[in-house]
Amino acid sequence: MRLDERKAAVGRVRDQFPVGMRVLAVDDDPVCLKVLENLLRRCQYHVTTTNQAVVALRMLRQNRDLFDLVISDVHMPDMDGFKLLELVGLEMDLPVIMLSVNGETKTVMKGITHGACDYLLKPVRLEELRNIWQHVVRRKFSNCERANIDGYEEWTRPSNADFDHVHSQTPDQCGRPSKKRKEYHSEEEDEGEESNGQENDDPSAPKKPRVVWSVELHRKFVAAVNQLGIDKAVPKRILELMNVERLTRENVASHLQKYRLYLKRLSAVASQQASIVAGLGGNDPFMWMGAFEGLQGYQSFASSAALPSFSPQGLLNRNNPTSFGIQGMSAYRPIQIATGNSTISHSIGDPNKYHLSLPGTSSRQGNLAQGLTTSVGQVQLTQKWFHEETDDLSTILSVSGRANNGVPGTLQSVTNSHLLQHGLVECRQDKVVIQPSSSGSSDRLEGTVGVSSSLMDSCASQQRVVPLSAFSTSASPMNGSFCSNDIAELGATSSGGTNICPSNDLRVARDNKVGATSFGNVILLSPDTVPNQKYLNFGGGSNLRQSMDGGNTDNLLNPKFIWSCLPTSQPPNLIGSHHPMSQRPNNGNLGGTMVGQTTASASTAAPQTRIDMFISGDTPTPKSASDLSFPRVHSELSSSSCSFDGLLNSIIKVEKDDASFSDDLGCDFYSLGACI
Amino acid sequence: MAAAALREQLNALLSSMFASGLVDDQFQQLQMLQEDGGTPGFVAEVVTLFCDDADRIISELAALLEQPIVDFDKVDAYVHQLKGSSASVGAQKVKFTCMQFRQLCQDKNRDGCIMALAVVRNEFYDLRNKFQTMLQLEQQIQAQQ
Repeated sequence: MRLDERKAAVGRVRDQFPVGMRVLAVDDDPVCLKVLENLLRRCQYHVTTTNQAVVALRMLRQNRDLFDLVISDVHMPDMDGFKLLELVGLEMDLPVIMLSVNGETKTVMKGITHGACDYLLKPVRLEELRNIWQHVVRRKFSNCERANIDGYEEWTRPSNADFDHVHSQTPDQCGRPSKKRKEYHSEEEDEGEESNGQENDDPSAPKKPRVVWSVELHRKFVAAVNQLGIDKAVPKRILELMNVERLTRENVASHLQKYRLYLKRLSAVASQQASIVAGLGGNDPFMWMGAFEGLQGYQSFASSAALPSFSPQGLLNRNNPTSFGIQGMSAYRPIQIATGNSTISHSIGDPNKYHLSLPGTSSRQGNLAQGLTTSVGQVQLTQKWFHEETDDLSTILSVSGRANNGVPGTLQSVTNSHLLQHGLVECRQDKVVIQPSSSGSSDRLEGTVGVSSSLMDSCASQQRVVPLSAFSTSASPMNGSFCSNDIAELGATSSGGTNICPSNDLRVARDNKVGATSFGNVILLSPDTVPNQKYLNFGGGSNLRQSMDGGNTDNLLNPKFIWSCLPTSQPPNLIGSHHPMSQRPNNGNLGGTMVGQTTASASTAAPQTRIDMFISGDTPTPKSASDLSFPRVHSELSSSSCSFDGLLNSIIKVEKDDASFSDDLGCDFYSLGACI
Repeated sequence: MAAAALREQLNALLSSMFASGLVDDQFQQLQMLQEDGGTPGFVAEVVTLFCDDADRIISELAALLEQPIVDFDKVDAYVHQLKGSSASVGAQKVKFTCMQFRQLCQDKNRDGCIMALAVVRNEFYDLRNKFQTMLQLEQQIQAQQ
């Protein structure tokens, strides 16, 4: 089709839509094709014909914005019509009408299941062809609806810089609608848009052959994105990492955008469910979901600058070696209660922990390793992030670090700033206080427990989240222990988080945890070394803990030490498992064990281990650093961290985990943590 | 004068073709397309295409059915194509025979297929003759105008 023709067609389209609709007719039978062509012309469509499916596919790939509709015969020697249908559906998102003299139900069904928008029987009647434009309109509308939804979602998450350009677009510019839009524009505009389209995932950008994103290719893509971090992932770098021939930057850019939208969609769905659950309240696993969702939303909200909207969904886990990653991690954690913990662990800066968590997500391991290395740096990054977000947060962070040193008062002061922000902040403050106590000693832990419970309550009240309250009730003793751990970490983090998430307490809490975790964990480790060591011991084992206690002080100072401790006590993975175990036991035994101290936790840990298995990878570090209670969360987190693809799965897992946890106080606690 | 007679002859031929069920309303639609759509020669083009294509397919079918081991899938594909093109042109009888032909082909009934091919061939030849006559009459009419 030449430009003149195209312009003429465009002109007609503008005037009266069905007239000039650009149809590509494919049929190997010259008689059928001739008749079909004339019938279509009679309908005043702009018809292009070919008797080879391969040629049709090439034409569509080269000029996919030049056609509105494809009519294809089913039986063709060079390529099955169903195959063509499938490829067109995958690559072009054009409505395809199948055409066959064979009207058997089975064949028609095959066409429909392969994505045909209609199935006509030969000989085609003029009356039927007069109506086919409806498929074009229908497709356009459905795409517009989708685009509108996306646009709406994006608007609700203004913080997301990645989507800003999307926002700026009108809804009908997204995806397929953009093709339609092009039809109504002049050639010059089209050219201008094409350059745009390369960045905006405009599927209609011509010239470049459409890349079929096979499962394998997508896997590489995801791995590359994870390695880079969803926020840091730029098409060029992804392309380099993927190292795939014939793949262009534009292809990757397009796919990246789709991937991000996909993540967004997932998070949106999850958040909807979560909100529903939240409305219902209770300990349901869904609660976690809700928290998760909330977190996502929160992140998108709070993260505006630092946090990419995507990252919250778990993409973050994969990708982000940097502060973003941490944030994303946190976001995930909120989503999956466990994840939050894993994030924390990351924040703690223990490479081991990171590794552990990464192993959980097999593909991510490499990324995780990177993340781990960076993780230490991440803490700083997060701090910066906090600073950016709120001065209070930064102060809080610093305070938390100091607080970790064991000065509740300092923490409180910090908390005060947080308090200003939110009730949640207050809760966090309490937690912070608890942390110091916990760090102080096992005895303190008991006292802490009491505090923690109070904190829990406060958190619950603040959060309004039912889960939290449930937690507090169920695990009151446990809570104490958990709280202490979580609180410590959370406290630091939460302060930041509070600022971030006004909307949902739970979400905020998680975010805070994340941020705090990184800070708090690090700080905690150094100042609270002793208590932390105990915690660490939990992860490693009671014996280890003791030893840790002995030498922990040194370790505490250096996050790395923590790592070393963990590894020494056990292999990272093992540690992870142990930690979870310990944590869970704590949950189960909460009152007793926690009070008793970490040593007890080790024993208790065993029962919970099974659950933690998942988590173990992630949990170890976080637990050691922050709290035992997190392990579960970690497990969940790990699952979530696995991948975006696994988001749904992770959610499901979370639910399962939650269900299992629900019995234990720890579960509740987790939910609380998530809520926080 | 002569043109009127020719036109009368043509109309009679077409009427007989419709009456005998050789062609159906699909063919009528093609004629309407030509008259209303301002595409002179369209019917002639389609009919010629059909005749050439059907002739080729029937030759292919004959060759296939002569093989010691008949590839019924191939036969079926050809018959299917013939059915499609005959349906498009409105060659009703050929189309019906093709439908029976396909059934025999799916039953892997070689003798039945050979018989069906013979029927299709006869019907096609009959139709082709009528089409050729029709086209000649049209050309003559056009030449006299």
